[in-house]
Amino acid sequence: MKKLLGVTLGILTAVGGFLDIGDIVTASVTGARFRMSLAWAVLLGVIGIVIFAEMAGRVATVSHRPVFDLVRERVGARLGLANLLASYFINFLTLAAEVAGVSLALQLASDVNYLLWIPLVTFLVWIVIWRVKFETMEQVFGLAGLALIVMAVALWQLHPDWSSLWHSASHPEVTSGEGAPTYFYFGIALFGATMTPYEVFFFSSGAVEEHWQRSDLILNRANVYLGFPLGGALTLSLMAISAVVFAPMNITVEHLSQAALPTVVAVGKIGLALILIGFFAATFSAALETALSSGYTISQYFGWQWGKLVRPKEAARFHVVVLVSLIGAALLALTAIDPVKLTEYTVVLAAAALPLTYFPILVVANDPDFMGDKVNSRLSNALATGYMGILVVVSVATIPLMIATKGGA
Amino acid sequence: MNEHPAGRRLYAALQLLDRQILDADAMMAGKVDDLEFEQPSDGDPYVSTILSGLGALGPRLGGRLGRWLTAVHRRLHPDPEPGPARISFGVVKRVNNHVELTLRRDELENNELEAWAREHVIAHVPGAGHAPE
Amino acid sequence: MRLSDLLEAEVVDRNGDRIGHVHDVRLVQDGPPLGTWGAALRLEGLVVGRGSIGTRLGITRPQMKGPWILKLLFARQRSSRVLVPWDRVRDVGQDRITADCVAAEGHDAFATDDPTPRP
Repeated sequence: MKKLLGVTLGILTAVGGFLDIGDIVTASVTGARFRMSLAWAVLLGVIGIVIFAEMAGRVATVSHRPVFDLVRERVGARLGLANLLASYFINFLTLAAEVAGVSLALQLASDVNYLLWIPLVTFLVWIVIWRVKFETMEQVFGLAGLALIVMAVALWQLHPDWSSLWHSASHPEVTSGEGAPTYFYFGIALFGATMTPYEVFFFSSGAVEEHWQRSDLILNRANVYLGFPLGGALTLSLMAISAVVFAPMNITVEHLSQAALPTVVAVGKIGLALILIGFFAATFSAALETALSSGYTISQYFGWQWGKLVRPKEAARFHVVVLVSLIGAALLALTAIDPVKLTEYTVVLAAAALPLTYFPILVVANDPDFMGDKVNSRLSNALATGYMGILVVVSVATIPLMIATKGGA
Repeated sequence: MNEHPAGRRLYAALQLLDRQILDADAMMAGKVDDLEFEQPSDGDPYVSTILSGLGALGPRLGGRLGRWLTAVHRRLHPDPEPGPARISFGVVKRVNNHVELTLRRDELENNELEAWAREHVIAHVPGAGHAPE
Repeated sequence: MRLSDLLEAEVVDRNGDRIGHVHDVRLVQDGPPLGTWGAALRLEGLVVGRGSIGTRLGITRPQMKGPWILKLLFARQRSSRVLVPWDRVRDVGQDRITADCVAAEGHDAFATDDPTPRP
């Protein structure tokens, strides 16, 4: 019984923790602009993250080595350093976007400008990392993120034309008035928002932090196979409610408040409260994860002691990196750079960098010296290799599309 | 040279280089950034020392980036012309997934930056010594 | 002499013909005793081949189970690898190593692979 509770908790945490500012922004923007015709990009992303998160979790559990530790070992010091610089940079931008996201959620709740919230938010993120236990952190914010289920409720309450929504999703086509490059650009954005690399750094480091044993592999699989798709369903709900409310009037989503609007329209005051709690929890937990990931990536490349599993003074360099990254990200957010635009660019860059993160995982997952008898099955190899092909295509297409569409204008 | 050498075979780049070093307390203590060979007067060279830290990684990477890393190492080090941090191979206990040592972290030469970070930043923040809750 | 001096160095034979680049260095544990480690790791030979990515990623090792498409792509690299015994090495220069053998000699470097203990 206790085991079942643990499994359920894990799944719920995965669902609630799935969305971040990237998913919220891209789902609302694309829903308003393309209706459901980019739903396939979310689906593709969910399948991808399920495959690779399971693999990364398995690798971390069996070899007791988290992802970035293995990146250097597998691709060498030079390529590993290039990988580190790219991953850290994207992670840094994501952290700034998440901190801005939390601040925006607080602005929506309080009418106090988001810029004024940034210093407090940064401090809160840091203090939670400094003092709160890993598991507690994950569970509290993961479960609070379940408030976002209100978006699915909102979809129901809006009484949409279901067949029209389904038609839009199952017959993807470039919406009239948009060009094909823009369509695919936003497809890449959605894909990148769903397959975020920091998720994998965090997940695999967490598996090592929490001392996962082989017996936890089933737990890992449950979280990933059930939790992530349900999280993806929430993303699609947000896309759908944006499509229903904004698309008919040709409104583009440019502010976080617009992402919340459909829920408020459909469910009223309770909807507003729940969606604000949900946005806050989603962005705050993502801020925690990306802040920790800044520390994980650099520490794991250089071999420094990392993590919350030891006293801070035993992992001094790790904590200094986390602190400096947080302060830097806050400063970037304080330049009043448009958080929505920042988020859009960041998820697209993250999509371009995906092969860097996932390729070493695939190679190590096949190495019996690390994995013993838990090496990839033929099926997972076939799927994962297929995905690597997709990731490379996406990666190559990103920058040209970004230039061609002027950043999705 | 022996026709059929006895003893275990290892591939230096694949199995030793860039591996995580763990100290006697199983704490992370850097990576194997390079290896140094001893050339005896008779016989083949053998691995005598592990080189670890920025002072070893810089020269290995080479180029402008390598030189910059070496410069950072020199700046943070009390000595004016510090070489790379050395760990004698004699203190290695075992090599499998990691390279395990018989010494503790603070007895190693590559601990400079950690000590600096601890003394100058972390020690000033309340709660640095608390076990995680 | 450091490992980094050997890795990626070009290897030429006594005629000046290129054999390849050093991908890896094979060590055997039968050197003089060192501290608590035991017998030191003696330099047995250089693993020399063309190209380098596959070896570095460990895809070309015999016990790697897949993915089969990558093994396929790097198969040619694997067959072109040779082990140049250390006693054939004449000179270790700045980026070039001269070895006392003809380019066609040598055998598959990983033929007598000793896998490291499984977790």
